[in-house]
Amino acid sequence: MRRETSRPNIVLASLLLATLVAWVGLDAVSVAPNRIVPGSGHGAHEVAGTAGLAASLLPLLAGLGLAWRPTLGRLRLSLGLVVAMLAALPAWLALAAANLVDPALPQARMGIGAGVWVALFLLLLAMIELRSRLSLSRALGWALLLVPLASLTACLAVWLEPLALRQEYLGRSEQFLGAIGEHLLLVGVAVAASLVLGVAMALAMRHWPGVQKVGFAVLNFLQTIPSLALFGLLLAPLAWLAANVEWLAALGVSGIGWAPALLALVGYSLLPMVRNTFVALDEVDPGVIEAARGMGMSRGQVFRQVRLPLALPVILEGIRITSVQAIGLTAVAALIGAGGLGTFIFQGLGQAAMDLVLLGALPILVMALVADALLGALTDLLRPGGAT
Amino acid sequence: MTRALTWRAGTQAGRRWLAPAVWLLLLLAACLGMAQLEGLFRLVEPDSRAVVYARADFLVLLGRHLLVVGVAGLLAILVGVGAAVAVTRPGGRDFLPLVAQLASIGQTFPPVAVLALAVPVLGFGTLPIIVALVLYGLLPIVRNTLAGIEGIDPGVREAARGMGMTGGQLLRQVELPLAAPVILAGIRTSVTINIATAAIGATVGASNLGDPIISGIVNGNTAYVLQGAVLIGLLALTVDSLFARLQSRPVR
Amino acid sequence: MIDLIHVTKRFGEETAVEDISLSVARGEFCVLVGTSGCGKSTTLRMINRLIEHSEGEIHIEGQQIRAFRGETLRRRMGYAIQSTGLFPHWTVERNIGLVPRLLKWPAERVRERVEELMTLLGLAVDEFAGKYPRQLSGGQAQRVGVARALAADPDILLMDEPFGALDPITRETLQEELRALQARLQKTIVFVTHDMDEALRLADRLVVMHQGRIRQQGHPLALLREPADDFVASLLGGEDRGLKEAALLPVSERMLPLGPRLVARERVVQHATLREALSIMLWRHAERLTVVDDEDIPIGELSLRRLVGARSHD
Repeated sequence: MRRETSRPNIVLASLLLATLVAWVGLDAVSVAPNRIVPGSGHGAHEVAGTAGLAASLLPLLAGLGLAWRPTLGRLRLSLGLVVAMLAALPAWLALAAANLVDPALPQARMGIGAGVWVALFLLLLAMIELRSRLSLSRALGWALLLVPLASLTACLAVWLEPLALRQEYLGRSEQFLGAIGEHLLLVGVAVAASLVLGVAMALAMRHWPGVQKVGFAVLNFLQTIPSLALFGLLLAPLAWLAANVEWLAALGVSGIGWAPALLALVGYSLLPMVRNTFVALDEVDPGVIEAARGMGMSRGQVFRQVRLPLALPVILEGIRITSVQAIGLTAVAALIGAGGLGTFIFQGLGQAAMDLVLLGALPILVMALVADALLGALTDLLRPGGAT
Repeated sequence: MTRALTWRAGTQAGRRWLAPAVWLLLLLAACLGMAQLEGLFRLVEPDSRAVVYARADFLVLLGRHLLVVGVAGLLAILVGVGAAVAVTRPGGRDFLPLVAQLASIGQTFPPVAVLALAVPVLGFGTLPIIVALVLYGLLPIVRNTLAGIEGIDPGVREAARGMGMTGGQLLRQVELPLAAPVILAGIRTSVTINIATAAIGATVGASNLGDPIISGIVNGNTAYVLQGAVLIGLLALTVDSLFARLQSRPVR
Repeated sequence: MIDLIHVTKRFGEETAVEDISLSVARGEFCVLVGTSGCGKSTTLRMINRLIEHSEGEIHIEGQQIRAFRGETLRRRMGYAIQSTGLFPHWTVERNIGLVPRLLKWPAERVRERVEELMTLLGLAVDEFAGKYPRQLSGGQAQRVGVARALAADPDILLMDEPFGALDPITRETLQEELRALQARLQKTIVFVTHDMDEALRLADRLVVMHQGRIRQQGHPLALLREPADDFVASLLGGEDRGLKEAALLPVSERMLPLGPRLVARERVVQHATLREALSIMLWRHAERLTVVDDEDIPIGELSLRRLVGARSHD
């Protein structure tokens, strides 16, 4: 143990070293006089001057020093340092905004540069590394992230007015909230529908082996078809239906919009849902089932009290995979007019407005991570006795 | 009796190649014969002037699509398997927890978001797509390679060491062959996702089979959309059935 | 108590159990032994209708088992298996209380019963009640399995290689405890194993099965002394049968009252087995042992001649 801790933590050291290189070598921010003109990049020394740059490197160097002879205390200290550096990033951006953006130009905007993005990414990795070295719980890891988040919120409210991302948001805040709502609604309905359908299908498959073969073949087939193509393929028949079946058209079904998006989403979601449910129910230890029956439990009791609870974590895993997948696919559905956050991505790509792209992509990323973390935590919670 | 058996084995092998072959033929036929189906597309889109996408030849689009996916796939396999092997060697073990966690967290990133984030950094065109595809395609490969290598019965590894195998021999003769099916499954996932993501790449200026779909959506021409969708679907099925064939080959 | 009358079981074309007849008396410890695939587990599982027999009749206390619903029947019998089959998502307490709760006992009575059983099987209530099966050692898990089988106080206990996955020392301890438990509770036990030593140690009635048929049944000593055929003889240990028999007989069986001669220096306790006595003789190069009681007071003697001696007395 002692030897283990006195060896340099090369993972942390390499991450911090890479952060240092990116911090010094890449642009910290880009500043443009307005939305149309492409911005010009500014390095870290321009943000805070040479002395400021040197000061900003101190915590990194300190972290490197701690990583050289890590002990439990030093690793904890490093974690504190990393969290502090993450929390300092928004402040750094605020400093850049104050020093580099001309207050006389109200249209001026500042984009976040590669240096800061890379530093953010690498520091997050360092945090993950330290979390697992110190074997901290997942929940504590998430709680630590609240510190930089609070700092970001504060800076956004007070000093980061020229931040392009913020301006893009302010320009369409209502649309943005609406898009998040649409996105969540589509994902929620798709996951709920596929859960009901998926469990029903899995149960049917357990009953009739013939259904199992055909069912999995069809679902695999669906999952293989790329999303864009599936949306496209649904376009024609739905447009035809909308033109020829009045009540469907009255319901809002058409070749583009939510109808094909929802159909495709459910189609994609079914495979992970059915597969996990089926496997989960099927792979409960036969010894446990035999014992349950040997004790005189009826078939219904065995299913409700033993098979289902034991399968539940794996079924939840299916819901998790499905939700994360649906969040990403819904972004693509924006192409066929289903709305949601993907709209901003494709609008931004069309207008070459990169910050608009970010405004769409970042929340999608966050949504996927949060869904993953929440459902993962729920799965752990429902696993009493560590049954697998 | 023996002859009958070999004959049957022969046809079975043939039958296993049947699915990829059929899909490939359909794909090529669709690429070449799309213009012949004009009448059919006219039914879908009676009002449009043109009903068959003609801005580029379908075969060229298919070629570009395959090139992007192929290059990205090869890079992802090289880097992904390499990284996973490196962090399972004694020298790189320190990086194992981080890489494993990164691979599993990374998979929650939607491919579209990764693609969208690559554009601000790398600009429009084919390069950002390849980079995004490599980055995203790495994850399932790394994860599966790790799972494959870590999942090997420790007894097997100990026996190999006990017989005097060197680290390299252990890797090449024991670990990689035993992990191969799992690695192959990872590559299959990676390539399937990449075919789909590459198609979306048409929105950031790459020209491939996604083009007809995007252009059809933009111009309200359902016939274009259908043409692109059918071709991408056939491409995905061809490649997937090829992998299914490879995976079904007995490894031991 | 349990009667199998010309019972046959077929799975499709295959005959797993063919025309077996077997009677187990109340309080008897019946062990089915044989190589894997001989039909012993199938026979056991036909008794609680986890498998339905194809032909013949099975009676419990004179009633056809088909007169009962499968579940009702099973709730009246305890059942323990090699993999324990403990529910991984339930605590030890809940696992043991399974059948009483199925029988709708009031909660208070279930709790009392669970604590009683845990004490009976040497599981400290405070320590183990809230644990999950994953947190138990193999031996502890198997104790919980046996406790669960005993929970509703069934007259009949069916056990399918319950100790098969345990290490030899734990296995022997549990065998002794089960033997003692049965002497106290007077359950009727049908026990399946492929381990002949276990079978000899536990059985009142030994049933040797081979290829779906009963080759021989009776008291272990009877089988050891007169195996019906070469198969039974070899399964019972071939040339080792003498030692196995010696392992079943206590020293008191062959000892003579203390004679006028000087007492031998080496001693053996009266309820040690003849096999242990023989081992002491070999080890100490002694031809005579003094037999002592629990207080170490000499009560008789055992000579090598007498130990290997004539079976004239029976």
